[in-house]
Amino acid sequence: MAADKRIGGALAAAACGLLGTAAPRLSIAAEPEGKWDIDTAFLFYGESDDRVKDASLTGLAIRNYGDDRKLSLGLTVDTLTGASPSGAIAASRPQTFTSPSGKATYSTPAGEIPLDSSFLDTRVAASAGWSQPFARWYTFNAGLDISTEYDYQHLGLNAGVTRDFNQRNTTLSLAVALGKDKVEPVGNVPVPFAQMTDAVDDDGDVGNRGADSEDKDVLDVLFGVTQVLGRHTLLRVNYSYSDSSGYLTDPYKILSVVDPVTGEPIVRTPPPGVEGPTGVYLFEHRPDSRTRQGLYTELRHDFSGKVLQVGYRYSTDDWEVDSHTLEGRLRFPLGGNSYLEPHLRYYTQSAASFYRYSLADGAPLPEFASADARLADLDAYTVGIKYGRQTSGGNEWSTRLEFYHQAGKAPSEVLIGNQVGNTLMPDFDAVILQLNYHFRL
Amino acid sequence: MNRKMGRLAGGFAGIVLVLASTSLSGCSSLGVKPWEREVLARDDMQLDANPLDTSLDDHIYFSKEGTSGGRGFGGGGCGCN
Repeated sequence: MAADKRIGGALAAAACGLLGTAAPRLSIAAEPEGKWDIDTAFLFYGESDDRVKDASLTGLAIRNYGDDRKLSLGLTVDTLTGASPSGAIAASRPQTFTSPSGKATYSTPAGEIPLDSSFLDTRVAASAGWSQPFARWYTFNAGLDISTEYDYQHLGLNAGVTRDFNQRNTTLSLAVALGKDKVEPVGNVPVPFAQMTDAVDDDGDVGNRGADSEDKDVLDVLFGVTQVLGRHTLLRVNYSYSDSSGYLTDPYKILSVVDPVTGEPIVRTPPPGVEGPTGVYLFEHRPDSRTRQGLYTELRHDFSGKVLQVGYRYSTDDWEVDSHTLEGRLRFPLGGNSYLEPHLRYYTQSAASFYRYSLADGAPLPEFASADARLADLDAYTVGIKYGRQTSGGNEWSTRLEFYHQAGKAPSEVLIGNQVGNTLMPDFDAVILQLNYHFRL
Repeated sequence: MNRKMGRLAGGFAGIVLVLASTSLSGCSSLGVKPWEREVLARDDMQLDANPLDTSLDDHIYFSKEGTSGGRGFGGGGCGCN
């Protein structure tokens, strides 16, 4: 690859790398003019204990029309299967639940965390973007993305501009993205805090459900600075602001109502001849807005051919979920055309202000509540390794294998009665296996 | 936006402005000349050298953790969170 094209690539990537997942795809400017530069990936993600499994195929094609005017097209197809925690807690006896459709039931053995096994989905996502320089120091980019699932639709638009300074050693960027989403839950949208009802026949009316869909709007703004610190070092700092409004509740998540002394789920007996929940379970209810801010920094440094990448992200929001993410990669060249890249990531977050492990029977309902473990105190780490090899024709194969562990904790102030010291969170391990192939057409 | 968020917004905006102004003025001595970009121009020194890995990771963590984003606009458009 010619060095002059690489120089253009470095500048454009430094400039545009800030502009979101859609935009940086445009920024790898090393593609030869008039050719398609194509990245493909197969990803397998599998959680322990027969929980979520995801197989996905992704393709990303970039075409350079000359003068750094670039078109990018992306397509992803995901297939999800497996069981997902419902939010209900483990009990000392077996529990039965009505599934989200309202027309079937599933059961959980004593002492186990209830998992909703009806989780099954296929997701198709597509994106298109355009990027081009204008004036002498500016680059403009714009894109759109859509995704569709059987119960969720997304439409997103994004646009950004970058400006180079100091002989292109400094780049400022500003980007905005708008998302318009529609949630269409199986069995319609549950009434907040309404009780899970008995299962009905195929033509029966499912109780405690409202509209068949709800909307969610997301505004993201990203402001970034990229600075070349020296011949071997590059720094990027991003400030991000995100405002979500509309239906932010998870329509499939529930909370267990428990005895205020024992902390055990209340027992309920469905009417004779009817299948239904054997406890009192309420649909969750989250606020209808969320404002998040984040600071992201990334440093890339070359040590005689080895490349160290370290990143740190701080995020805070008005749901009081504050998180820290620390991530590092070190790429070792192995001979002239292959490399090995270990990866470490650590993540920790505080619980949302309305996170509850369960709800006490007879107590007044809070304004909002969710038992979604993703809103609890959480720690997670990832350990992985990637191997890549360039073929004689200039194409590249790579594969990565990663291990992810997540452990949650319910804050002691939300525990009820004997739950203190006696909680069971839906912790899990997951394996990520990815195969990539990069080629030109 | 509550008071804490307001303070944080002010803090963040301050950090970014300081970085921006530092980069644009005092640190104009930072950086390299155009002919010193050989290392920075390598594919493996690009800030988003592996866009597919990045977007797939963003999607996984968006689905499994309570916060996401920051690097770019990744992970959105999914009913998984």
